[in-house]
Amino acid sequence: MAAHRDTGIRSADMSLTQLYLANEIGREVVSALGELGVMAFRDLNSDVSAFQRTFTQEIRRLDNVERQLRYFQSQMEKASIPMRPLYEFSNTLAAPSASEIDELADRSQSLEQRIASLNDSYETLKKREIELTEWRHVLAKCGSFFDRARGHTEDIRHSTDDDDAPLLRDVEQHGQNGDASGDRAFSVMNIGFVAGVIPRERIAAFERILWRTLRGNLYMNQAEIEETIVNPETNEEVSKNVFVIFAHGKEIIAKIRKISESLGADLYSVDENSELRRDQIHEVNSRLGDLGNVLRNTKQTLDAELTQIGRSLAAWMIIVKKEKAVYQTLNRFSYDQARKTLIAEAWCPTESLPLIKSTLQDVNDRAGLSVPTIVNQIKTTKTPPTYNKTNKFTLGFQTIIDAYGTAKYQEVNPGLPTIVTFPFLFAVMFGDFGHGSIMTLAALAMIIFEKRLSRGKLDELFSMAFYGRYIMLMMGIFSIYTGLIYCDAFSKELTIFPSMWEWPADLQTGKSATAERVSGYTYPFGMDWRWHDTDNDLLFSNSYKMKLSILLGWAHMTYSLCLSFINARHFKTPIDIWGNFVPGMLFFQSIFGYLVFAIVYKWSVDWLGQGTNPPGLLNMLIYMFLSPGTIEEQLYPGQGVVQVLLLLIAVVCVPILLFLKPFYLRWEHNRARALGYRGIGENHRVSALDDDDEEGQTLNGNRESFADDDEGVAMITQDINEGGEHEEFEFSEIMIHQVIHTIEFCLNCVSHTASYLRLWALSLAHQQLSIVLWNMTLAIALKQTGAIGIVATVVLFYLWFALTVAVLCVMEGTSAMLHSLRLHWVEAMSKHFIGDGVPFEPFSFKLILEEEASDL
Amino acid sequence: MANGWSLLVGFVVVAIFCLVSWFAAPKGENRSVWRSTLILSASSCFLMWAITFLAQLHPLIQPIRSDLRADIVNNERLKMY
Repeated sequence: MAAHRDTGIRSADMSLTQLYLANEIGREVVSALGELGVMAFRDLNSDVSAFQRTFTQEIRRLDNVERQLRYFQSQMEKASIPMRPLYEFSNTLAAPSASEIDELADRSQSLEQRIASLNDSYETLKKREIELTEWRHVLAKCGSFFDRARGHTEDIRHSTDDDDAPLLRDVEQHGQNGDASGDRAFSVMNIGFVAGVIPRERIAAFERILWRTLRGNLYMNQAEIEETIVNPETNEEVSKNVFVIFAHGKEIIAKIRKISESLGADLYSVDENSELRRDQIHEVNSRLGDLGNVLRNTKQTLDAELTQIGRSLAAWMIIVKKEKAVYQTLNRFSYDQARKTLIAEAWCPTESLPLIKSTLQDVNDRAGLSVPTIVNQIKTTKTPPTYNKTNKFTLGFQTIIDAYGTAKYQEVNPGLPTIVTFPFLFAVMFGDFGHGSIMTLAALAMIIFEKRLSRGKLDELFSMAFYGRYIMLMMGIFSIYTGLIYCDAFSKELTIFPSMWEWPADLQTGKSATAERVSGYTYPFGMDWRWHDTDNDLLFSNSYKMKLSILLGWAHMTYSLCLSFINARHFKTPIDIWGNFVPGMLFFQSIFGYLVFAIVYKWSVDWLGQGTNPPGLLNMLIYMFLSPGTIEEQLYPGQGVVQVLLLLIAVVCVPILLFLKPFYLRWEHNRARALGYRGIGENHRVSALDDDDEEGQTLNGNRESFADDDEGVAMITQDINEGGEHEEFEFSEIMIHQVIHTIEFCLNCVSHTASYLRLWALSLAHQQLSIVLWNMTLAIALKQTGAIGIVATVVLFYLWFALTVAVLCVMEGTSAMLHSLRLHWVEAMSKHFIGDGVPFEPFSFKLILEEEASDL
Repeated sequence: MANGWSLLVGFVVVAIFCLVSWFAAPKGENRSVWRSTLILSASSCFLMWAITFLAQLHPLIQPIRSDLRADIVNNERLKMY
């Protein structure tokens, strides 16, 4: 089975299928397919607006239910009642029946009414309670006002006679002997009063306005209410003041009332008689008590109701969302003439067809229908969508590729080699045994606690790391390996094998010593640890890492270029092999392949043993172009001839790369024309020349009249390739495209090779940074002795560890990851990626719910 | 001990590993993922090791250090033998 073998290398084989299903079981079929999640339904009613579609009514009803459920959720949040989490439901994925949905709709309708009425009454009661509380405060505070004010009746009386006299003169003096005239009532003197409550921040304005409008003809008293009063509508806390205003004459009192009401004060009636006032206080207190009881009961009922709802709210929401998705999908289907059969068209992976068929059969059997659901495969010229199957391991890597672009249908999926190359190139930059271990452990922890973590809510940064946990694991493992190769563990050396260098026997303290090589022995794994902390460490490691970067870059680019060969083979376009791949490969190898050969060859020769001077490779490459044939420092005999030959190959490849493909395509096109062939799309356009675009539309619109005939519908499907995918042959366009490609390719060979030097730069930076961190923290602590040494070691260890994780692992890791990302997107994928595919978006409940999972 | 031939031995070992992973990869829809991951990992790691080995096969410079203490170095040397 060819299709099966290719899984993972390229996107899955897709087929366009047509479904004929009985109207009665449409909902059940779609819901079963939604559980499978392998079909992407095409919209067959794209010319019909959303309001005119068949199932708009149902969607509206479900929208309403969804709104009600969200209302419950907001009410629960307000009352801080927890919702039973989704994963506690065992069978959330069971498809609901139509009657269940109706029941749910009715139930949420009645529940909404109940909750709303409970809420209303609760709020009314709360309001009443606030009023009573305020009144109680007014009554309590007024008592003292009245007692005091009685003493000043004379003053008030007097001040009304004499306009110039200040109102509050000698308040304190008269305060003490005010009780004498206590029993005289205000009404006798025609003095009225207004009592009420006003927000504290308005009190100044209130006083000023009153003073101005009444020209000082008033006596005002106020006191702060200690507790804040909560407004039940907005849930805001407001601090308020009680005030009593005494004034003379009915008009003035009325005016005061108006002013206070316009400023948002609440007025309360207070009796001036102290006995009556006491009764009022009693009454208010008892009413408050009753109200408190009622309020508590209401609140309890409401909470009980909400808790009841909360138990199944999550499941209801899922049911409604699924149901809505089903109807939205059904809206994409079209009807046959008699409106008895639904017709659907969908892309699905060819290998899932048996599964789809058996699922449909199951649905049919359960419904007990005699009419089978027909699944028809359609041949089409339309480009199928690209569907790269992923599992939880490959998902992250595939996302890296898909973020750049969707691969063309069935081209080599770069996501496959990325599984290794991405973390490996990362590790070349991040190479440190210790840091790699930290990263591996973190990734392992995330993988082990996968289930628990995926349930809970994660913050944005952590959820990103969690999504890429398998990438992190691979990065960590490869970093451990490259750390071993670099012989770095937290910037310290790892002495696994005996060194190939020995210090001289006549070593003198304080004098520089040059190590001697153990003859015939090379350090077997990675860098020799003797290089650590030497004076010329960087000299050696820079030369090594630079060449390492070039070699790895060359290997990565050659590999990527080879993928373009596989693509050309698969799409059966040999001209892409002979016109693009072969000349490109020859050009690249004759320059950079040769450089790689030179590097390896230079390493393999024992220059010191021979007693000759090793040639500089950079100069060699430069003079290979500037003065071909002349060799200043010889690397190997016959070098001049080889270099001239390679240069000739490279130069010859450029015109081939430039001209072969466009001229071959033109020749092919002209030959086909000469033989009288025309493209199918072209023919169609010629016949429908009068109104070419309209034609497709009308056919599409009239599809129902053809629908009684299977073949008719199949024919129509073939014709509705929107816009026509067959392109007119345009030589100049192809030529321009190829010129751009050639220039880009040749220049990129140079710039991309240089770009891989970032591997060297970043690994150098990482290593140096970790050395600096060690020297600034732990190295200082380890030099101390005694008690200071102990304390310093403990404190500085934590500092060192925290900085290692934050700076070296997280920050440096992010930077190395971005550079590795760039190397894949730009340097590697430019060599082979075609990427004009359409992503496959199957109708799947799982995907729909995952999108909204964060809400639940 | 390790010398130029080690490269060849390493190459043969990795080649055998690649062959084995090609045939022993678990069957099923993830087969190519297994194959590609194992083989590419092995070859990348081999490449890196081989480059590092080659770079030290005939080194042009020797480690130079001026902060060594004679007594410690001599002590270590005694311990080794």
